[in-house]
Amino acid sequence: MTDPFARTSSRRFLHRLNPLAVVTAVAPAVVVLVAVRDLATPLVLLVLATMLLLAGAQVPARRAPLAFGLPVAFTLVAAVSFGFWADPDAIPGTPVLFEAGSYRFTVASWLAGLGISLRLGALLAVVLLPGFATTGPDLVRAVVQNLRVPYRIGYTAFAAFRFVPRFGYELGLIRAAHRVRGVAGGRGPLAGLRRWTGYIVPLLAGAIRHAERVALAMDARAFGAHPTRTERYLLPFRRRDGAFVGACWAVTAAVALFAQPVLGLPIPVATV
Amino acid sequence: MPSSLLRADHVAIRYDGATAATPTDATLAVEPGEVVLLLGPSGCGKSTLALAANGLVPQSVPAAVSGGIVVGDAIDPATTPTPRVAARVGMVFQDPDVGLIAGTLLDEVCFGPENQRLPVDEVLARGEDALRRTGLWDRRHENPDTLSGGGRQRLAIACALALGAPLLVLDEPTANLDPVGTEEVYATLRDLVADGDHGVLLVEHDLDACVALVDRVVVLDRDGRTALTGTAREILAGRAGELMELGVWLPVATLAAWHLREAGMPFDELPLTPAELTAALDAGLDAVPGLRPPARTEPTAAPSAGSAPLRPPSTAPSSDTASLPGSWRTDVVVEVEHLTVNRSGVTVLDDVSLTAGRGDFVAVVGTNGAGKTTLLRAIAGVAPPPRRTVTVAGLDPARANVRELARRVGFVFQNPEHQFVRYTVAEELAHALEVQRVPAERIAERVEEMLTRFGLAEHRDRHPFLLSGGQKRRLSVGTALIAGAEVLALDEPTFGQDRERAAELLDILAGLNAGGTTVLVVTHDLQLVAEHASHVAVLRDGRLVAHDRTERVLASDALLAAGLRLPPLAEATRGLTRHPEWRGVTRVSDLAAVRT
Repeated sequence: MTDPFARTSSRRFLHRLNPLAVVTAVAPAVVVLVAVRDLATPLVLLVLATMLLLAGAQVPARRAPLAFGLPVAFTLVAAVSFGFWADPDAIPGTPVLFEAGSYRFTVASWLAGLGISLRLGALLAVVLLPGFATTGPDLVRAVVQNLRVPYRIGYTAFAAFRFVPRFGYELGLIRAAHRVRGVAGGRGPLAGLRRWTGYIVPLLAGAIRHAERVALAMDARAFGAHPTRTERYLLPFRRRDGAFVGACWAVTAAVALFAQPVLGLPIPVATV
Repeated sequence: MPSSLLRADHVAIRYDGATAATPTDATLAVEPGEVVLLLGPSGCGKSTLALAANGLVPQSVPAAVSGGIVVGDAIDPATTPTPRVAARVGMVFQDPDVGLIAGTLLDEVCFGPENQRLPVDEVLARGEDALRRTGLWDRRHENPDTLSGGGRQRLAIACALALGAPLLVLDEPTANLDPVGTEEVYATLRDLVADGDHGVLLVEHDLDACVALVDRVVVLDRDGRTALTGTAREILAGRAGELMELGVWLPVATLAAWHLREAGMPFDELPLTPAELTAALDAGLDAVPGLRPPARTEPTAAPSAGSAPLRPPSTAPSSDTASLPGSWRTDVVVEVEHLTVNRSGVTVLDDVSLTAGRGDFVAVVGTNGAGKTTLLRAIAGVAPPPRRTVTVAGLDPARANVRELARRVGFVFQNPEHQFVRYTVAEELAHALEVQRVPAERIAERVEEMLTRFGLAEHRDRHPFLLSGGQKRRLSVGTALIAGAEVLALDEPTFGQDRERAAELLDILAGLNAGGTTVLVVTHDLQLVAEHASHVAVLRDGRLVAHDRTERVLASDALLAAGLRLPPLAEATRGLTRHPEWRGVTRVSDLAAVRT
């Protein structure tokens, strides 16, 4: 430990990895999830990602429902709602689950919905891994230290994160202000467009002024004065980081190749 | 003798593209162990000079700088690389959030030394020292967002210290803070200069907050020429008349004593703080036994304290409204009943009930986060309250049509730019009437009237965003009123403005109020409350802890109990022991009327 003040609480292994390793490790899984069309691959990846998160990351109790419940809950709910859009007769002769008037919701509808929702749910579970295992600042530091990205770019991106909530707040104020001025008038896309163009000028004026002030404040703190800066948190890419990435890639490849043949789940017909 | 931390000799600065230089001829010096206050009317170049002290002007903001600025022994901030200047001059800005980037306080203070490429041990030593000096060391692992406004500004001071700078330059550091936060910041600065190795250059409008701390004062005139230099007492007390002619604000205690001296009361020298005023009054009132305390006048139509000496003494005091019990209740314009507002699980307003009558001027006060703005927005329907909790001008904002509500209730946001929706000043004024479908000739007539009334006639075809700060504020008040609003609600109307602009706005409000418009204001400026408000509503943690006529609230302990402070004049008169009949005096404008 180079920093005597750094928090030294015993943290689980995902937190001790280089943030870049965690991001790199899950990247192929994201690609696979975008590409596959079966049910088995996303199902297995969802389960594995959730287990890895459970085993390797410190998830605050407050966030536990989000980390472990949301992917599954999303999958189940969205399967039905996506199913409404699907052709109920894509697989002829499947049982009708319920009907309203002339509309029928069949097992085929549900399978088609599940095909999409399970992939999105699994995608969520996978990206939650780096989400919980790393922090924004550490990722920026790792990118600067390991990928030789100039720190000016890295830390500027970081300062930009702080803009987002501020903009959200400012936009809320502007919308409320315009509403009380009676600009609310009219419904539909044209009126909406007109409203939003009205928000742009004040929002940009505020943003530019704020950005100028931030730039002055950063200059005043000697930011960008030297080509490098002191790093107190060193994030080397160690052998164990490489091993973790390799293992994750191997598992992802195995799942992509063998999950469907082994499990043999029905293939949804994508008609959405 | 150690060398000056900063010396500026006959400095003129002209921004690229500007026609005139401001400042034109500024001369000042800051020595170790002293706090120098830079004063001057708005637009005289105070902030520009502050930015030039560490080279941000002209290195980051292009400008032509002439004359000599020297930092430390022989560093010229205009040509020296920023990190070397940053090690000599630390900047603290009005909005502490602009500097924040890190996730913890310790990372935040270490950010500067890291940029200076100091070794890790040195970075941490600097960070620890800076956090200890600002009283934040125990919170080093917390996120800066969890700090109060005063805490964040102390963090900004720590960040400047960590760069190793012996000179701190602060540009209106307390403009966004409540009284407690302001005290925190100045207590931190006081400890810092007491060690003798740091110096401070301060640009500040709120003299009451900082006067006890200031060693020397430098005054710039309208063109940005150094007009006066001397100790705080020499300048603020000794040259009070000249400062007022320059349009520079005085501490309230000094201004109050200045009026009493006009009325014949002897002062060896004018007091600077409420405590000094108390002592001077207790002693001085014996000398003028004929001087009677001012009778209580209606606060509404009084001009702002700043322009008071220019006005004739106000005439016949009206009878005390206490003798007309409940008279204002017969004409209730705003009624809030058991209003509770929850936002993401937090109770922002807790069972608030209050009423305001026609022609009342109600000030809503409280510390940051007490629920002031939420209450004002609920009343005006900006954030619609639960049904049947609010009645304003006969409407329930939860159910009323937005146009109807906008006609009856005008809302002025903290930042006037937020509410501009059109492309010229004249269209902006016409907008509210067009929404109400008023005939065109009637609109033209009303717009003319408003342009003249708010001094905007020559700017009618400009884009609202291109107006000056004071003009923007006047336009936003005009647009809120043009449709004939009975109720005008203003959120921190004096926020981030200098006192001159604030006084201008308050004169407008006083006029409207005298004409029967009910005015609701959220503000931190308690002397403003004392001068102008007829009623005060005090919020604490979302609960209404006091709501009464201003003089009764000021005579009680409600403000202190809510974590606020008494306005300076009320604080001074409350401490009187030998002349208790003067204890109720809280308005400087009343003193302007006192004559023997």
